[in-house]
Amino acid sequence: MKFPHSARTREIRFVLNGRETSVRVPPGYTLLETLRYVLRMTGTKEGCARGDCGECTVLVDGVPVHACLTLMSQVEGRSVLTVEGIDRQHRLIRAFVEEGAVQCGHCTPGIVVAAYHLLSQVPRPTEEQVREALRGNLCRCTGYVKIIRAVLKAGEA
Amino acid sequence: MQHLADVEVYSVRTLREALELLSSVKGLRVIAGGTDLIVQLKTGVVPKTNLLDVSRVDELRYVRFEDGILRIGALTTFMEIYRSELVRRHAPLLAEAAFTVGSFQIMNKGTIGGNIVNASPAADSLPPLYVLNAELKIVGPRGERFVRIQDFYKGYKKLDLMADELVAEVRIRPPGEGYVGHFFKHGLRRGDAIAVVNGAVLLMLSPEGIVRDARVALGAVAPTVVRSPSSERVLVGSRLSPEVMWRAAEAVVNDISPIDDVRGSAAYRRELSVNYVFMTLYRIARETGVVA
Repeated sequence: MKFPHSARTREIRFVLNGRETSVRVPPGYTLLETLRYVLRMTGTKEGCARGDCGECTVLVDGVPVHACLTLMSQVEGRSVLTVEGIDRQHRLIRAFVEEGAVQCGHCTPGIVVAAYHLLSQVPRPTEEQVREALRGNLCRCTGYVKIIRAVLKAGEA
Repeated sequence: MQHLADVEVYSVRTLREALELLSSVKGLRVIAGGTDLIVQLKTGVVPKTNLLDVSRVDELRYVRFEDGILRIGALTTFMEIYRSELVRRHAPLLAEAAFTVGSFQIMNKGTIGGNIVNASPAADSLPPLYVLNAELKIVGPRGERFVRIQDFYKGYKKLDLMADELVAEVRIRPPGEGYVGHFFKHGLRRGDAIAVVNGAVLLMLSPEGIVRDARVALGAVAPTVVRSPSSERVLVGSRLSPEVMWRAAEAVVNDISPIDDVRGSAAYRRELSVNYVFMTLYRIARETGVVA
């Protein structure tokens, strides 16, 4: 792999979706750049790349953060969960399909990861809790009604 | 936007290692959560430099209450601060501000030390720290020293901090019985936004509703966060009536110097400052039963 101006690369080990992973990248690369362009895991989306839209939300050591604002030096030895690490049959993903909570789909992975984290902390969240947990995730297609309905439905299951 | 592939990142796990590197390697910029710095580096707002990544220095992540002082490690995240029972009990203003800093994703990563050193005049943690008379513990090769938060800022992004020093801890002496206060913020989006105006009001009221002590701080309306002595003078010694609250709110314009920028005009910021200070005073008056 060739990097522009890549005088410096470093072997970085971390756990990705439960699997020990090692990549040789510049430590100033973001986790988002590494996931998408080095590991070719394109489930995590790039929207604004500046922490405003929430599309690149992943869990690092179990908490939601922006992959675009996380340097590879910051994930060394840690555990990362991306949308690919969530079972396709998970009740949350089924609820998104059943409720039609996806339109263009670009915001969906980030929202699924943020909601997955919420459900792991609060199995039966209120609508207020769902709205708070997703306040950093933008959807520009339709609004949030179906998305919130889907998360609430997954919480009831 | 540029990538940071050509930037060297030094990663450390202890405060000692961090200080050693800062002394031996010139031109390092310290990165903690990186929620603002990474954007600034990528957009060229600050020049690309090699980085010292202190985000894993776990010894600087804590909230403790010892000898009557609330101590918050510089690398404590806003989520940790918001959830801390100690912060809620001893500095509830700061817990309120921590919740508005940004989305949960930002709260999970952004640190109080990063917010302080990043020195944005719109930093949400600062107005509470100003009215709480917080003190910073600064460590460096010459030992440790303490600086009052308002003395730490010498001008727009000018800090009382040497290149080989780090902010290690925030100290707050709880104001004590009878003090009531709130944080306020006007952003362009509730979920995740930089403040157009923010601030904090902390009052000490006598049982009759007379203001014994008043501290008003505003952010995003001057090169640094500012206290408003004009407003405080109107309040101290007066009963918290609607008329006094309006006069105190209007007095803040004497102490601020807002500018026009992408988030709002100077005139809009002046209006917001007056209205938010009034609303916050009114909220305190209602909560304490001074007005119905």
